[in-house]
Amino acid sequence: MNPILVYCRRDLIRWFRGKWGFISAMVMPAAWLLFVGLALPISFTDNYIDFVTPGILVMTILSASLAGGGLLILDRMLGFFNKFLALPPPRESILFGKILVISIRGIIQSTIILCFAFLLGAKLYTPSQLAGTYLILFIFGALLASAAASIAIYLDDHDQYAAANAMITMPLFFSSSAMMPYEQMPSWLIPVAHINPLSFAIDGIRIFQTGEIPLTQIGFLSILCVFIIGVAVHVFRKVQV
Amino acid sequence: MEKEATYDARYSIVTYDLTKKYGDLCAVNQVNLSVGTEIFGILGPNGSGKTTTVLMLTTLLEPTEGTAEVCGYNIHTEPRKVRESISYVPQDMAVDVRLTGRENVHMFAELYGVQNPAERSDEVLRILELSDRADEYAKVYSGGMRRRLELAQALVHNPKVLFLDEPTVGLDVAARKKIWEHIKKLRNAGMTIFVTTHYMDEADKYCDRVAIIDHGTIKAIDTPENLKKIISQDVISVSVTGPCTGVDLPGVRFAFFEDESIVFYADSGDEALPQIKDALSANGVTVTAMSLRKPSLDDVFLHLVGTEEDKGPFNLSTFRNMTRRRG
Repeated sequence: MNPILVYCRRDLIRWFRGKWGFISAMVMPAAWLLFVGLALPISFTDNYIDFVTPGILVMTILSASLAGGGLLILDRMLGFFNKFLALPPPRESILFGKILVISIRGIIQSTIILCFAFLLGAKLYTPSQLAGTYLILFIFGALLASAAASIAIYLDDHDQYAAANAMITMPLFFSSSAMMPYEQMPSWLIPVAHINPLSFAIDGIRIFQTGEIPLTQIGFLSILCVFIIGVAVHVFRKVQV
Repeated sequence: MEKEATYDARYSIVTYDLTKKYGDLCAVNQVNLSVGTEIFGILGPNGSGKTTTVLMLTTLLEPTEGTAEVCGYNIHTEPRKVRESISYVPQDMAVDVRLTGRENVHMFAELYGVQNPAERSDEVLRILELSDRADEYAKVYSGGMRRRLELAQALVHNPKVLFLDEPTVGLDVAARKKIWEHIKKLRNAGMTIFVTTHYMDEADKYCDRVAIIDHGTIKAIDTPENLKKIISQDVISVSVTGPCTGVDLPGVRFAFFEDESIVFYADSGDEALPQIKDALSANGVTVTAMSLRKPSLDDVFLHLVGTEEDKGPFNLSTFRNMTRRRG
């Protein structure tokens, strides 16, 4: 079995058996869907949950990825890292295993959120819309997982990482196109929202729903993803034991 | 497996002026070792460079100068070959508590690329007497069992060299004994065991050879027996009340103060005992107790390294995870 998959399976098993990490990761976006998607008094659309679902999906990936970065820190703190580094497989497989498991976790969570959104009355996606949505979620998941891994390796401290995590999540989410269309934004927010990587993912999913293929968004996210994976590998190689 | 022409098959680990510097601090200074099929102990106070040496030999850390060969492979040019031939158990006791014992071992079997991971995992679990608890989560394992589980993980690919960093730290007496018995069996089966410890009694009892390291420099390498001969004298410990004074007796030498006691080395302990008592009494010192013993590895260690205490600031994370960035 490929060592990347071995590392990945280890973390997945630990995650499922951990229960509360899993449950908590589900409740937050579900609460968002319920209280924001259904309860917010919105005037620009009569089915806000349709509009906000892509945003919540992307937010699920965001919080799953940032939570996943903590796995790397714990592995270092608890001494697993040194054990793994002394094993024969290429060392980058530790990193790629983490990026893979964080992405998979994000995909699993966003799948559950998507089902929940449909339950709450969001319009069902066609198979091609679904495929497009997952394509974007996967690229975006790998991108954020690599970013989270880089930050985690760089900070190398659980408290610092939690602080950075809290600092990143909220501004990134609210400065994206998750909650409102660009036309409804105050003018100072529009340029910020346009360069926010979250917006690219969210807009991409929305464009798929109109039946078009968001080549710009997919292209931008893919290039950024490859770049951030490169950063993660670079930071990882410089790790001091 | 092909070996280099220069490889001396008698030694699994050979180091050549192995050196590691952190800025101005020389953590390991020109260490030259040759380790064969034996239990080789490296003894030293905290921060003396034991772990740094192990980290370099296990290819986790690049030496600043010098090099080493493990099983004939250069740690710098063939790190992967080195890692295929060895196992390393750090001090932290890192087992996945949400995995069963068997899953923990099986994962390592796969990572080592073992041909038949399931059978091999069963086998090492049996060797380390964990078979009947193998399907329980490691969470319920005791400290001794967790350490044995780590040994099982390390042994699953039949390494030629096993690196153990403080294998018995934090374990109770019975668990320690068991760990050492397993280590001895491995040595008897032809494995090289490179172990760091600061438990002198264990090194004395179980190690075939011991290196004493301080401030990154090897002070002595020999069998425990021969090391104890460095102090060819008897050790006399005198408990006193009142001001301590030295004595001026032929064949008696002051060694060091220890708590409320004065420690002397004497050529002939039996005869020196009453002489020391008389001399101290004459100086107005009240002797409350005296003891005479043969030198232990502790004495050799204190003789070579001194009694200087670790003066670095105590750091919880360093304590938890002494394998990292330790000088």
